Amino acid sequence: MARVSERVEPFPARVAAPFHEALSRLWRALSGMLSLLVVLALWEAFAREGAVSSFLLPAFSVVVERVFQDAASGELFFNLGPTLYRTLVGFVIAGSAGVVIGILMARNAVIRWFFDPIVSIGFPMPKIAFLPIFMLWFGLYDFSKISMVVFNAIFPVITAAMAATEGVERELLWSAQSLGASRRRLLWEIVLPAALPQIFTGLQVALPVAMIVTIVTEMLMGGPGLGGAMITASRFADSPGVFAGIVEIAIAGLILVKGMAILRRRLLLWHQETKEPTTV
Amino acid sequence: MPLETATKAKGERALSPRERVQIAVNRVGHSYRPQKGRAVTALEDVSLAVKDREFLALLGPSGCGKSTLLYLIGGFLPVEEGSILIDGQRVAGPGPDRGIVFQHFALFPWKTVLKNVLYGLEKARLPREERLSRARAFIDLVGLSGFEESYPSQLSGGMRQRAAIARTLAIDPSILLMDEPFGSLDAQTRSLMQGELLRIWQRSKKTVVFVTHDVQEAVFLAERIAVMSARPGHVKEIVEARFDREDPDLLRSPRFVEIVDHIWNLVRAEAIRADRGGAP
Ligand SMILES: Nc1ncnc2c1ncn2[C@@H]1O[C@H](COP(=O)(O)OP(=O)(O)OP(=O)(O)O)[C@@H](O)[C@H]1O
Ligand SMILES: [Mg+2]
Repeated sequence: MARVSERVEPFPARVAAPFHEALSRLWRALSGMLSLLVVLALWEAFAREGAVSSFLLPAFSVVVERVFQDAASGELFFNLGPTLYRTLVGFVIAGSAGVVIGILMARNAVIRWFFDPIVSIGFPMPKIAFLPIFMLWFGLYDFSKISMVVFNAIFPVITAAMAATEGVERELLWSAQSLGASRRRLLWEIVLPAALPQIFTGLQVALPVAMIVTIVTEMLMGGPGLGGAMITASRFADSPGVFAGIVEIAIAGLILVKGMAILRRRLLLWHQETKEPTTV
Repeated sequence: MPLETATKAKGERALSPRERVQIAVNRVGHSYRPQKGRAVTALEDVSLAVKDREFLALLGPSGCGKSTLLYLIGGFLPVEEGSILIDGQRVAGPGPDRGIVFQHFALFPWKTVLKNVLYGLEKARLPREERLSRARAFIDLVGLSGFEESYPSQLSGGMRQRAAIARTLAIDPSILLMDEPFGSLDAQTRSLMQGELLRIWQRSKKTVVFVTHDVQEAVFLAERIAVMSARPGHVKEIVEARFDREDPDLLRSPRFVEIVDHIWNLVRAEAIRADRGGAP
């Protein structure tokens, strides 16, 4: 058996294998983004054609050039920094508080009785409508913006954590107890790991919400940040600046979301669904 | 001195372990009252005495409350009607003295096979070295060597079931509650596992309550077989079956076949009743 396979697989093929592998991986990566490439190519062609004025739609190449200029001048990082900071701080606060509240709601009747009406009203409500109130109460700076992010991003985490905790199979708790686990340890040793996949899904919903709300608050409250920079560019009729902002936000969002997906794969190695390749 | 020995010997005979009742189920009933849907009376007036070191099989049509009875003995569900005494003590909750193999395994999906088996041994505070060697020994016993680092989601149904058996056997409980523990195994593996179970039972003096759908398995393994009625379940008949299991022709011996037939007819009658909605 071994001899046959040695004969069938000649020496050069082994050398070529990594190259083929790399090529096919590149092809898979590119073909996965084919639709995006088509849209960008159409954009470029449409803008160059002169069908619309370059003020309304600057060419994609012009926008990309602007992104690089912003990066070189430091302008990009001056705006990207505060945006990422607000997004991530808001996300971490919403994530940790949301997980705690959600788990407590599932396990304690009094806490559930207290929070349930708030969550059922708060979850579907367009919370961005609170922005003027937050501006009145907390001003225009980081505290106000981050509070807004937390307020918006916490609800999907609470509902996911609550549903996940309630969904933990009773037989898992029972088998831990019959193996000698005390009731006190069940939360850490059984409930949390069993609920983690669903909790993580809630966090993956909350992260883009945090990013969106950060940009919107920046647009409406001003100051440094990608949202504020886009509004400023728009006021000065700097259309490449506006489009560059969109590209920068898209890239930042993509990196954050991909990062979460990688973290999930690391953390939830055991989870069957997680191992399947996903686009996110 | 001689007198003392004599009285002690006499006392011991009076308390001969094989005569002592270890699990006393007394007129137990249980109803499920789900928040939605109708209440179901699963058990009604169940009485059963399992003797020390006895191997008792529990047979009955699907849905008659066999799992429910095991859950009550295991202390997972509260005994609301009647009483269950273990060694004269009321069941107050789950504990490692009563090991259980769940019908649906209830392995911890975030732990590898090895970590699953180690969990109970850690709770028992065994020294590290001993934990590992014990866990490996039981994984080997159920034929899962080489799969120590696999997650449950990477195993077949029968392999999961064997991992769950290893996890329960490893903590050496004095009472073994097994809910169709060989239900997912092929005939060959099943027969091997039956042999191992019998060996463990004979060597380590356990009391076994063994739920199964397989009449032949019940008669082969158990000393007594309790046949339950259709829902609401109660014990309909208890059949004695003490055979020489070393006899290679046992399964064809007339008395064995006769008892299997008898029990088969009992279960069949109850299954038909269950099919008609449990009406008398
Ligand atoms: N969690 C539950 N909520 C409501 N009803 C339940 C629940 N679990 C079981 N029941 C009901 O109790 C009855 C007995 O269930 P149980 O699981 O004990 O049966 P079983 O004898 O183990 O059946 P099987 O052989 O199919 O495993 C069933 O008819 C079912 O309708
Ligand atoms: Mg059952």
